Amino acid sequence: MRFMTLVAAVVLFVALAAFATRWLRRTFAPVEVAGESMTPALLPGEYLLLRRDSLADGEQAYGQIVALRDRSGRLLLKRVVGLPGESLRAGADVQINGRALVERYAHGVTPAAQYRGIDRLGPDEHFVLGDRRDASTDSRNFGPVRAASIEGVAALRYWPPGRVGLLRRPRREFAAVDGADAPRR
Amino acid sequence: MNISTLMQRALRPSQKAYAHCDIPCGIYDPATAQLGAETVEKMMTLMAAADAGNINSMARYIAIKEQHAEMVKHEVRIIWGDFMKPPDLATAPELHDVVWEIMRLGSACRQGTDVADAAALRTKVDEFADIFAKVKATR
Repeated sequence: MRFMTLVAAVVLFVALAAFATRWLRRTFAPVEVAGESMTPALLPGEYLLLRRDSLADGEQAYGQIVALRDRSGRLLLKRVVGLPGESLRAGADVQINGRALVERYAHGVTPAAQYRGIDRLGPDEHFVLGDRRDASTDSRNFGPVRAASIEGVAALRYWPPGRVGLLRRPRREFAAVDGADAPRR
Repeated sequence: MNISTLMQRALRPSQKAYAHCDIPCGIYDPATAQLGAETVEKMMTLMAAADAGNINSMARYIAIKEQHAEMVKHEVRIIWGDFMKPPDLATAPELHDVVWEIMRLGSACRQGTDVADAAALRTKVDEFADIFAKVKATR
């Protein structure tokens, strides 16, 4: 009887472990960060868990770091800045519907050759940017991305130990009309 | 091999995600700064000869002078900060002084209208371009 209990426990444990592994693999994908266009939020060599999930709706999508495939099949990490239906200009600052966005996570200046204006993002289109504006290839180059091309949302950093934590999205802020809150350079 | 390295190996994902930049980095050229300095000098000269009553022309000269003086500072800072390395001081010990002079003269050109400042800026940027060529030849 005791033997049977032990076998049942082992079988249950293995089944649970298999289920948990399968669930984890279906829900999350581990990736290693390569490149520096998302510094300082993400540093090269860090390990992340991507949540295999579609983007949140509306305003909740802003600021999320997403993984998407480029034409060559590479997985890219960029931050969602422009949302469906918005008019956007990415120049010295980013302007959404004519209002200057305050981006405390971003640094560097968009090179003149990368300036981009979108009259209106489509109902399924997002504009993604690297946080390092002077050294990133993103929607300024390849245009808006469709929700279907987004493979996951960066949810958690699990390496290095000193930087382990959830990747939280920033609050969306706009400069005051008089420019008092505009980013300083 | 310590525990941290072992753990890192065990946890390492098989897939990489690129926070990338396809813009070719490592291309440095002081030509943009030289052209900018020449433009500042040209605008100052035009301003000195212009009819002060022609506000539109004067505003355009000032705007271009401002923009190019700042661009000169920006371009020089990039080469100085990203391309130049401490060992290059052996080749060009005057590097920091020249950059400092360019920053100072660039600001003077934005603040004022003295053609002599613009001429001095152009001379210093040319000097910086010579230093760049000299250092590049050692690489």
